[in-house]
Amino acid sequence: MKKTVRIKINGKIYEAKEEESVLSVCNRVGIDIPQLCYNEALAPYGACRLCLVEVVNGPGKKGITTSCTLRAVDGLEIVTDTEKIVKYRSILFELYLAQAPNSEEIREMAAKYGVTKTRFSKKVKPLDPLGNKCVLCGQCVRVCNEIMGTAAIGYIGRAFYTRINTPYLEKSDVCMGCGACVEVCPTGAIQMEDIQDKRVMKSWSGTEVKLKKCKSCGRYFAPEPIAEFAYTKLDPEIKEELKDLCPDCRRKLLSKREILISQGEVPMNGE
Amino acid sequence: MDEEKLEEIISKYDIESGKLLGILEDIQRVEGYLPKDSLIYVSKRLNVPLSRLYSLATFYSFFNLQPVGKHIITVCMGTACHVKGAPHILETIEGLLGISPGETTPDGKFMLTTSDRQFTVNTARCFGACSMAPVIRVDGKIYGYNTPKKVAEILKEYGWRGSK
Amino acid sequence: MKIRRFEDLENVRKAGIKKLLPDKPRVAVGLATCGIAAGGQDVYEALEAALKKKGVNAFLTKTGCFGICSEEPLVNIVMPGKPLVILHKVQKEEVDLIVEKVAKGELPEEKVLCKIEEWDHLTLDKPLYYGRGYKNIPLWNEISYFKPQKKVVLRNAGIINPEDIEEYIAVGGYSAAYKALTEMSPDEIVEEVKKSGLRGRGGAGFPTGLKWEFTKKEDSNIKYVICNADEGDPGAYMNRNEMESDPHMIIEGMLIGAYAIGATEGYIYVRAEYPLAIERLKLAIKQAKEYGLLGKHIFGTGFSFDIRIVAGAGAFVCGEETALIASIEGKPGRPRPRPPFPAQKGLWGKPTNINNVETWCNIAPIIKKGGEWFSRIGVEKNTGTKVFSLVGKVKRTGLVEVPLGTPIREIVYTAGGGSATGKKVKAVQTGGPSGGCIPENLFDLPVDYDHLASAGSIMGSGGMVVMDEDTCMVDTARYFLGFTLDESCGKCVPCREGTKRMYDILEKITKGQGTEEDLLTLEELAETVKATSLCGLGQTAPNPVISTIRYFKDEYTKHIKDKVCPARVCRALIDYFIVPDKCRGCTICMKSCPVDAIDGGPGLIHIIDQTKCIACGTCMDVCPFDAVIKLSGEKIETPDKPIPIKKGR
Repeated sequence: MKKTVRIKINGKIYEAKEEESVLSVCNRVGIDIPQLCYNEALAPYGACRLCLVEVVNGPGKKGITTSCTLRAVDGLEIVTDTEKIVKYRSILFELYLAQAPNSEEIREMAAKYGVTKTRFSKKVKPLDPLGNKCVLCGQCVRVCNEIMGTAAIGYIGRAFYTRINTPYLEKSDVCMGCGACVEVCPTGAIQMEDIQDKRVMKSWSGTEVKLKKCKSCGRYFAPEPIAEFAYTKLDPEIKEELKDLCPDCRRKLLSKREILISQGEVPMNGE
Repeated sequence: MDEEKLEEIISKYDIESGKLLGILEDIQRVEGYLPKDSLIYVSKRLNVPLSRLYSLATFYSFFNLQPVGKHIITVCMGTACHVKGAPHILETIEGLLGISPGETTPDGKFMLTTSDRQFTVNTARCFGACSMAPVIRVDGKIYGYNTPKKVAEILKEYGWRGSK
Repeated sequence: MKIRRFEDLENVRKAGIKKLLPDKPRVAVGLATCGIAAGGQDVYEALEAALKKKGVNAFLTKTGCFGICSEEPLVNIVMPGKPLVILHKVQKEEVDLIVEKVAKGELPEEKVLCKIEEWDHLTLDKPLYYGRGYKNIPLWNEISYFKPQKKVVLRNAGIINPEDIEEYIAVGGYSAAYKALTEMSPDEIVEEVKKSGLRGRGGAGFPTGLKWEFTKKEDSNIKYVICNADEGDPGAYMNRNEMESDPHMIIEGMLIGAYAIGATEGYIYVRAEYPLAIERLKLAIKQAKEYGLLGKHIFGTGFSFDIRIVAGAGAFVCGEETALIASIEGKPGRPRPRPPFPAQKGLWGKPTNINNVETWCNIAPIIKKGGEWFSRIGVEKNTGTKVFSLVGKVKRTGLVEVPLGTPIREIVYTAGGGSATGKKVKAVQTGGPSGGCIPENLFDLPVDYDHLASAGSIMGSGGMVVMDEDTCMVDTARYFLGFTLDESCGKCVPCREGTKRMYDILEKITKGQGTEEDLLTLEELAETVKATSLCGLGQTAPNPVISTIRYFKDEYTKHIKDKVCPARVCRALIDYFIVPDKCRGCTICMKSCPVDAIDGGPGLIHIIDQTKCIACGTCMDVCPFDAVIKLSGEKIETPDKPIPIKKGR
């Protein structure tokens, strides 16, 4: 059981769990810190460099650092939005605007912190599978690798030429179509569309994942690998009659059964 | 690369530390590059995601994902060479070796290899030998004052057996 | 045979001494990579053949690099009872003559560089004594190159055979490890290293004893020690020489460190571009295992330790410790945020101590002679020696090992001999792409961690590039940024995006298209990238820019305001002219010009058409009369069209 510690942010004292990420504390108590690569479910990554704060007192090193990797300990005192931090952040936002020129989210975030234009030439790649919106925060890769365990996508190359996509830029045969990458992407760069019986990961080299068809209403309702995976996780095992039913039909079936039971009639299989 | 050879390489590494890098380096040493089916084999055999192996192969400069020929011909495309006809020299070499022009690797590097894997052709920006323009380099040796005829002679020196 | 007791070590030592001081001539050829590149292998083979042919009974062997690389190939000759003599610039054609002389017990005097009468290997109780004699030959440290030097790290390099463990043991090798493992406690060893004041030789300069203590403190039954041999700075090759010339000193250092810290496994991460170093290390590890110096129950104690080599695959960033760890774990070399530090969570999440090659090299003498002895070398807070690779526009290039605190001047002028061409030395670049330039007027600065940092550079791993008036400092900054932007791992925005943008601005400036605003943007970018990058690569990438702007702002201003390159390097800003008075109308330049920009004819003054000229410099290279000059921002009077040259002088 982690003990509670007290840290000072901008002169005010806040409680935190020992070793809790300072960024997490700020998010929790409503202190505004820009961030792109931070995710509560993942280990702090330190790639976006936007969550800068300055440590003015405490047991560790003083100076400017990223709040996502800074751990709360008793006696820690930090300040946000110092003159230097504001200055560095504006330059970083200029780099972001140039890096992801099509991203509305980046434009809004930058504008919120006072940056509306960039001195740097925009990185525009024609036919970019990520629509020139990717900032390489890495959340999609980390979620796919560390949380889902699928590893359908990964980093390709290094330095200025780094990209994220499937190996050999080919359709993935391990992608489960879970959509976690789309969910976590902070700039809306990843395109996914359900077209008839397939979920198409447009950004990931056109990877196609079959969707499960509801045996009752015929609608395509979930990626097959996810449904199959979910079935294996249920204990006790799912009843055969409930398999391959979309949520609506499943609900209808269970409600029907409840009503019939309450009316004293024993339901036949399939009703 | 056949399975037996791959197994031999894999069996050399008994602990995790340095294993993946070592296996890829050994494959590269034998094949001159990392063949796709070798990576797929290693991925299945070691239960390592293919995306991870591809990340490694594209991160480290040492690894080639395209086969490299026995001899590497680099045509200088610097200003002096350019003006002295380097594009024509490049075309000539491509024609003589039967390589179709315009191929690039995913990272944008221009590199073409003959189907018998004898020669790889690529370009560079400047060797600093401008006085001998146009310049080509074969396996590290610099040749200057090139003409289509001279280039054919140089290729013969390296085992090209003539076309058609 | 396994070495278990002190007597075993002694017996091997005695056997090894017979190889270093045989009762017949000993001929050793310097065969590190630089020696081989200079033709050393040919010399070795020629010696082998000649000695056989002439029936000379001599002991022929190989050795590492003595450090004076510009004089290679080097060959050592020890006649029984006489001083060790070093021959320099030996060509295979000279071998027959050399062997003839050796057969007669004489020396080829024109080839002799210097002599060694006795040599303190530091790990031997007393110096190795060769003999007195050869009054006319200077002692090794009477030569300018070696005058400022003190060999601690390079105590065996160029003297012993790196491929023979017995020669290493002969000079006291593994006796420090014996002392550590059988007579000292881990605490005592850490104390000794702390007392020495040794700081990390990879560049960061963190106190080594303290670093060991952090890892030692951790409670874990699995710990690792790692040797960072990913030496990536272009122009720096100290570690390469250390590994190729004396691989065992690294193994011994790691053995002692592992024992002190509580690690049972060690890794040496060597960059793939050093195949000979990898080969010699592998051989040394194999031999150490055979002699029981690695493996289980070393020296009959309960301590077991093993070392493996992991080769890099072409990524400069893997010199950063968390990236190096990721690489060993089979991942791309992308650094991780610290804390947690490797001492707490390193390789596979276990406590790990990483040190640079040269740091490990210092451990054996520290244990043998004591931390206090080491602390008396160098200056306060910067103890011991440092090996530098002195390269660039200097007369004598090679490896120079000096006590920390030695002024730059002594290294560049005394050891290096100053300019090779008579041009004015302008600056010295230290610390590779992470460092900065120190201008000539600051050459009295002592070389150590603290002084160089205060001057805006870093000592780094030891690369020292000398630059003269023909070096453009803006172009130099551009060159270094070009390197860093390619080697960035690409994880964090300031480094990945920022270094590229800085490079783009520098390119603009070298092309004469830079503006005042560009310079301001460059400075802002530099400050941001330095302050906000995740790891040392990004944090130090702007240093070449910041330091050249600090000391050579006028060069930037000239490029921007006047479109002039004072050093006449930036091609877009230089013009070539043929001096009318010097032209002899030989037509060589006209024929060589790749763009036919020269107008002229036999006996006529040649004129360069500036609208066609691409500033490749070919005409200047080929003119036999030095009639071509290059100017920036200036021009000279030339005739409107080719007229007859002035006859007579």
